[in-house]
Amino acid sequence: MLHRVSVECAAGKDRERARARAVSPYSAMRRPWHEERIAEAASSHVGDALLARTRDAPAVEELLGATLFHERRRLAHADGAERDEADRAFYARVASELRVAGAAEREQLVRSVVEHYVREVQGHFDWHVYDFATRALPVLLTALLHGIAPSRMLARLGHLQNVDDYVILGGEVDRLRDLARRGTVLLVPTHTSNLDSLIVGYAIYRMGLPPFMYGAGLNLFSNPIEGFFMRHLGAYTIDRRKTDPVYRDVLKEYATIALERGQHNLFFPGGTRSRSGALETRLKKGLLGAGLTAFRRALVAGRSAARFYVVPCTLTYPLVLEAATLIDDYLREDGKARHIIVDDEYGRVERWVEFMGGLMKLNVPIHVTIGAPLDPVGNDVDASGESRDPRGRPVDPSRYLLVNGAVVDDDARDASYTTLLAERVVEAYRRDHVVLPTSVVACATFDEMHARARHGELHRMLREASAFPVVLPMAEVVGAVDRVVSELRVIEGRGAIRLGPEVRTEGSEGIVASALRTLATYHHRAVLTREGDSITVGDPQLLFYYRNRLDGYGLRAAPSLGAKP
Amino acid sequence: MSRVVAVLGAGNWGTTLAHVAASNGHSVALWSRDAATCEEINAQRSNQRSAPGLTIAPGVRAILDLREAVQGAELVLFVVPSQAFREVARAAGEWLVPEQLVVHGTKGLELGTHKRMSRILQEETCARQIGVLAGPNIAAEIQRGEPAGTTVTTTYPRVFDVAREVLASPRLMMFPGTDVLGVELCSALKNVVAIAAGMAAGMGMGENAKAFLVTRGMSEIAHIALALGAHRATFHGLAGIGDLVVTCASPQSRNHRLGAAIARGELLQDALARIGMVAEGVPASIAARELAASQTIDAPLLERVHRVLHESLAVERALEELMSLSPARE
Repeated sequence: MLHRVSVECAAGKDRERARARAVSPYSAMRRPWHEERIAEAASSHVGDALLARTRDAPAVEELLGATLFHERRRLAHADGAERDEADRAFYARVASELRVAGAAEREQLVRSVVEHYVREVQGHFDWHVYDFATRALPVLLTALLHGIAPSRMLARLGHLQNVDDYVILGGEVDRLRDLARRGTVLLVPTHTSNLDSLIVGYAIYRMGLPPFMYGAGLNLFSNPIEGFFMRHLGAYTIDRRKTDPVYRDVLKEYATIALERGQHNLFFPGGTRSRSGALETRLKKGLLGAGLTAFRRALVAGRSAARFYVVPCTLTYPLVLEAATLIDDYLREDGKARHIIVDDEYGRVERWVEFMGGLMKLNVPIHVTIGAPLDPVGNDVDASGESRDPRGRPVDPSRYLLVNGAVVDDDARDASYTTLLAERVVEAYRRDHVVLPTSVVACATFDEMHARARHGELHRMLREASAFPVVLPMAEVVGAVDRVVSELRVIEGRGAIRLGPEVRTEGSEGIVASALRTLATYHHRAVLTREGDSITVGDPQLLFYYRNRLDGYGLRAAPSLGAKP
Repeated sequence: MSRVVAVLGAGNWGTTLAHVAASNGHSVALWSRDAATCEEINAQRSNQRSAPGLTIAPGVRAILDLREAVQGAELVLFVVPSQAFREVARAAGEWLVPEQLVVHGTKGLELGTHKRMSRILQEETCARQIGVLAGPNIAAEIQRGEPAGTTVTTTYPRVFDVAREVLASPRLMMFPGTDVLGVELCSALKNVVAIAAGMAAGMGMGENAKAFLVTRGMSEIAHIALALGAHRATFHGLAGIGDLVVTCASPQSRNHRLGAAIARGELLQDALARIGMVAEGVPASIAARELAASQTIDAPLLERVHRVLHESLAVERALEELMSLSPARE
């Protein structure tokens, strides 16, 4: 099936596709996606592993009992979508069969539960749709930027323009391109907004890379625009409401097997969008370790030349679509378990249009920075794709897995390697973060507000500032921006951050003016407004949100408030 | 199973560990940068300068060439002073390979950076599978085969398994742990408290005063280390209270001896020269002060040891100041 697509392309029947091929060197060498085979392998692998762990019949029954418990609890609160109805029927069948099942039938039931999960997770990539989507995506983004209604967009297909002015790609783009040919790439971006997967997906296409497989939360499919693209751009489904450990095993295995088979992957190691606006400081090790697992299995299978690369990617938005919902959730749940937000700005097309229209009018781009690539244990990777130790000496990554010359399975060891890898990814995020006027001015203004507040305690200060708007003299805000920028220059000098073009070249007054323009757009209440010689804080929570991007850099003007992402 | 082990550093503790490993039947390369020491160990089975009185087990071979020592060793033990650690790590990094296991027994932090030794190993070598050896272990007692307990702390289970096979015996019991950061901070900072205990002894103070200083010192260490991410349980383990008790109680400990000498009016440089070995508490007192400041933690005892050592505060005056503080909470 998929082979036929590539034949069609080669025949050049479609002029548009030929054009896409000119951009993407990969179009000519399209490998079929092995989703069916990945799903089969994941299914049998997880089934085997579970049954190997549960040797006796009572343990198998307990395992199935746990699945029924987790899933029935979830379904009790489910809203009756088609998918949920099918699940109810499936688990009713499992429960009734379990009552009469013998040992062999129980094992079969475990396998069918795993299979059930795998089928739900499995993506449905299609080259036809990919071709369409990658052509439509820039148009779609451009259309949104121009405030065109979605219904009129298709008519404009082919008039690609402008979108590259709004998404600026920087960093190690060439190296990523090169490594994607040499081995399998695990791209791990920061997670700020649900737009991230769209932006990164576009960046991947723009770099001429083949499509990446990625996991997307079930709730993301709710947006009619992105839902369409996601289904066909390589997304597989993650349902965060599922608490069954068997389901988690399935998710991890699906990604691992895909990597093992050479399928480039994308995941957000922060897990969910940063609620506070701060850069990630802690990452989920489970999926991040999938590259190492895939590498180990490739070595065991005798593929000693197989290479896997972890590539950090940092996204910076001048404005964030869901900022208001996210910071609200952060402040409400500060330190406690977080909500799974199912209904936010992202689900509403009109907010998208306002948002994109805002960015367009202001001419403020989103920055995507590709970080320096790492090997699966966190070593740097050189130009030829080989690992280097911290002193730049060549090092063979497979040797990290050897004991007496043989590759050995050791989960605790691999988890420790992954912890180090996570540290390096977090370092890359901080280093590759492009500082924009909004976060600089938010940082400076927030500090001035903090210094004046009667109550230093964060929640109380924010409440008071909402009730009695804080007014600051313009000159003081400009002075505070001066200080923040000069400290940022020192940090940039150490190579520990990147200053965006405006922050680098404009004076403090220019930076303030630019940030004021941006922060007065899109959000329901202007975050900051200027009246004569003073600046009024219109939305202290959002000010806090935009300021948090610079938390933890050791700025004197921005003492760490310990903002967790 | 006989394993191939490298011990880097032929000081008192390094020589002792090499001897213990060889006595357990393993093949040990003991690296020293001093040709005369190598010669003495290989020809006379002794190391009079660093481990006087010890007859070194025949399985220990002293080696002057770092490459020869490191290559082929399954386990590499780093036992060099903290301020020489980076240099030795960088040099050894030329020959280390990823499957080698590394354990260090150095109790100190790097001056200026306050970096822990395991961090330095990560910065200078390809080694990842790293552990820390720490506990109440006076080298001379271990040499005589007196009973003792120790810990190897690592998040890599195989590092512990191999280290135990190499070093543990019916005379040396080894416990596992995973709080690498906590153990490294604790073992480095306790040397500052040992100097304080030595000062108390040198001034002829009683047991009450010593217990008071040691306990307050431990509490200050714990505050600093917890703020930096240590686990609470580390402080009542062998590498925590265990090591502190032995360093503070034993007049043989070099930090203790240093403190006593200062209390008797000797100058720091003279005392260091006379003791003739590295007293890790001296650089650690600088790190202690800066770490406490960075975490905005009040550490009055550690602070005063620093001022006695580096700012010529009189010992009596330091004690007076300490006793006149108004205690907030224990």
